[in-house]
Amino acid sequence: MRRFLAPALLCVWFTGGVAQPAPSAMRRLTHSQYNHTVRDLLGDPSRPADQFPKEDFVHGFTNQSAGQSLSPLLAEAYNRAAEKLARNAFRGGDGRGLVGCRPAGPADAACRERFIRTFGRRAFRRPLTQEEASRYSRIHREESLRAGDFLRGSQLVVEVMLQSPHFLFHLEEGSAPESYRIASRLSYFLWDSMPDEELFADADAGRLAAPGGIRATAERLLASERARLAMDEFLAQWIRFDRLRNAIRDRRLYPEFTAELVEAMFEETRRLFRSLAWEDRNFTEFFTADYAFLSSSLASLYRLPAPAEEFDRVPLPADSGRAGILGQATFLTLTSKPVDTSPTERGLFIREHFLCQIVPPPPPGIDTTLAALTDEKPMTTRQRLAVHLTNPACAGCHQLVDPIGFGFEAFDAIGRGRQKEVVTIYPTQDELVRRVKTKPAEHRLSIDSSGRVEGWPEPAFSSPRELGAKLAANPACQRCVVRQLFRWAAGRRETAADQEAIAAAFERFRASQFRFRELIIAIVTSPRFHGG
Amino acid sequence: MTVSRRAFLKGATLSGGIIRVGLPPLEAMFNANGTAYAAGAAKSAAAIDTRFVFWFNGNGIPEKYWIPRQTGPDYEITPCLKPLAPFRRNIHVVTGLDSPAARVPQPGNSHYPSMSALLTGQPFTGRGAGGASLDQTIAARIGNDSRFRSLQIGVCQESFGESIQRNMSWAARDRPLAAEMLPHRLFDRLFGVREEGWVQRQRSILDAVGQEARELQTRLGSADRSRLDEYLTAVRDLERSIAALPAEYRAVVERPPDGGDLKDWPRIAKLQSDLLVHALASRQTRVASYMLTKCQGLSRFPWLGHTAQRHHEYTHGQVETPRGMRILRDICRWHVEEFAYLLARLRATPEGDGTLLDSTCLLFVHEHAEANSHKNNNLAVILAGGAGGLKTGLHTRTTGTLGDLYLTLADEIMKAGAGGFPTAGRKLVEVV
Repeated sequence: MRRFLAPALLCVWFTGGVAQPAPSAMRRLTHSQYNHTVRDLLGDPSRPADQFPKEDFVHGFTNQSAGQSLSPLLAEAYNRAAEKLARNAFRGGDGRGLVGCRPAGPADAACRERFIRTFGRRAFRRPLTQEEASRYSRIHREESLRAGDFLRGSQLVVEVMLQSPHFLFHLEEGSAPESYRIASRLSYFLWDSMPDEELFADADAGRLAAPGGIRATAERLLASERARLAMDEFLAQWIRFDRLRNAIRDRRLYPEFTAELVEAMFEETRRLFRSLAWEDRNFTEFFTADYAFLSSSLASLYRLPAPAEEFDRVPLPADSGRAGILGQATFLTLTSKPVDTSPTERGLFIREHFLCQIVPPPPPGIDTTLAALTDEKPMTTRQRLAVHLTNPACAGCHQLVDPIGFGFEAFDAIGRGRQKEVVTIYPTQDELVRRVKTKPAEHRLSIDSSGRVEGWPEPAFSSPRELGAKLAANPACQRCVVRQLFRWAAGRRETAADQEAIAAAFERFRASQFRFRELIIAIVTSPRFHGG
Repeated sequence: MTVSRRAFLKGATLSGGIIRVGLPPLEAMFNANGTAYAAGAAKSAAAIDTRFVFWFNGNGIPEKYWIPRQTGPDYEITPCLKPLAPFRRNIHVVTGLDSPAARVPQPGNSHYPSMSALLTGQPFTGRGAGGASLDQTIAARIGNDSRFRSLQIGVCQESFGESIQRNMSWAARDRPLAAEMLPHRLFDRLFGVREEGWVQRQRSILDAVGQEARELQTRLGSADRSRLDEYLTAVRDLERSIAALPAEYRAVVERPPDGGDLKDWPRIAKLQSDLLVHALASRQTRVASYMLTKCQGLSRFPWLGHTAQRHHEYTHGQVETPRGMRILRDICRWHVEEFAYLLARLRATPEGDGTLLDSTCLLFVHEHAEANSHKNNNLAVILAGGAGGLKTGLHTRTTGTLGDLYLTLADEIMKAGAGGFPTAGRKLVEVV
């Protein structure tokens, strides 16, 4: 209990530097990595992992080792997928050229050996050991002799390999020579898929042994469109696009809120991120950009002139109050509720996602019902939330979050600007029956959009644009970007042992004027990443 | 058609054990064929296995519409519990349970620690539940002779996506067991056509996979070893579940359609309940969890006419207004309706001299009492069924913990011999 009643700043749980037991470094392929890997390994674009049990969010991402359980249901899904992929790979012959030689008969040992070595190296992302090669050779031989068909042996080998831990897991120790592990780490982080032939060749030739080699390779991978798609996924999880995808809005109040509008919101956010990351712009503009990439539907939502082409870059007028991610409908919507904005959610999201702080939940037993709205005493959301700051059981934590959210009150639950908060009070059943009130009453209330960030020397702001400028200049926020990307890359939350590496990556990020590409390079060349 | 009740499908697994898949009790499964199974029933009644179903819906209850005012046998059925009126004699409403592990402060919102404590009696870890959930504690001891050690079944999918919100069965600390949400997939798992040749082939594949994993085990550090061990266990479970089912199964259980409205939750809930009953009746498992909605769930309720918000928002909206309370009443009555549907199906399935309900113990729980205040003491649960001398027909107000109740169910009712459960201090004599 003490924690909840403690002074405000003690309420925030800073997570950096917390000593934790050594986490298992062993991750399995994420579903997305599985899809991309079978695409590249087998030429199969069918995305079988879309049918697997859904992945859970842990620490803000779905790729965290701590959240990757291996349920019987998932093992069955791997089993079914392997069967289907292997069958399709050899349907009507070796159409995809996986065998790589023309077998003279079911027992062609040379061709068998060659297939197992080349395919096995790609499936396990390293050369097979002698024992492995002979085991798979035996499996292949028995099956092709039994069926009288060389390819049936190959099919069985593929089916077994696709369920092997060497395929399903990113193994760290005792399995692969280091250069192959680095190759896999690079390709799965930067491409979300297995290494290509060139990367295997780098590993074969030992070019990944030195940071210089890693850097050159990383730059090659980053030049590919695959890297853009892989980082889009980082963005989507960091900003929790899933919450926006699952958002609903009261249709009576927000008739323009449609699936198409939501897609446009995602696209606006993606375009800003892509422009900063891949055009080597200063990434702190993620919070300060005084321009936006708008569809005509978003331009109309923002009350700006429509762009010449969909998602063209347009300037954001200073008096719009918008800039960067905080002024985007994406952020403003995903932190709102079906009817109202949620200053609490907005403040919490900024603390957790952009400052990497954790705010504890309300203590149990607290009645979270806000004062009921009546026509006699209509209140703005801000007024209704005042109890969070006056009740001492709530105030300890809520003063850290709500006042941040208050600074966004000039934007409604789908990110439209507003001068007044429209509070709609529907007649109660009783009022309807007694016919004292038959239609909803609308109250137009003045908005106070002054916000503050508790704990900052200059805490006051009154628009997303003003807060964005403060965040962009704040080292905690800049470092948080590094930490989020580290979590994504490493598949786990950072520990005390990672602090030095994160600090070094941050220095390089800052020295490069916050080029995102440089941050990626700093992470992949860090010993904490490549394990060298 | 004559199929002996004691006909089992036998097959040696690679690890040497015998898998036994019992045939379904015929009355239940062959409606048209009458009483083939009745003759031998009486003498084998004693051998009937008990089953356990852990049943969950999220976001708590509106207490005033849910908790009966009176205790004892003559309590007045509350509006939310109305669908259970025909089952008065089969249920035991237990209220006043405490969940101390929910109050260990942890990051994350209030639902997380409550969920972890509810399922496992242990505090939320910051990532997932703090230990093995009740169903898994029981399954670890009584599930090993079944085709499936346990089944995880889910219905509504809308959630905030966190692990602790999406899973109710946990094999161990931070190790969730995903639920099957789609009826046609659940059907394929339980009753899908499997040819002998396919079974042999899969066995040899999994044998090779297992061998490779075991070799790798010896080269890994301990943290990684436990992760790989999880995979090995899953592969072994899969090995055991691979079986060529007798053709009779296919004749009796209809495959749910692939399509249809997969967000029509009342329809999905009933399809999943049907399949669960078939799985229990055909002895493919003795332990199951059934997650109707997610923890802090975000379902919408078009069939109830409540679409403006989602469940979680309704619990924190204007719940103090009469309209807000009525919405929550309707929602929670629907949960109870689906629970009652499962009871009805179990009761309609004859087994031995009685019904499948007589040999089943069901426990219906939520992560909170009143969800608006995130209350996690004075929790209300429903016990149902006749397994192992479960006392029913009552509303009991107790002062025990969830752990006390769970230990009582695991050891007194299910005879699992767990010997203890986190937060358990005593057994609750009120329920046995």
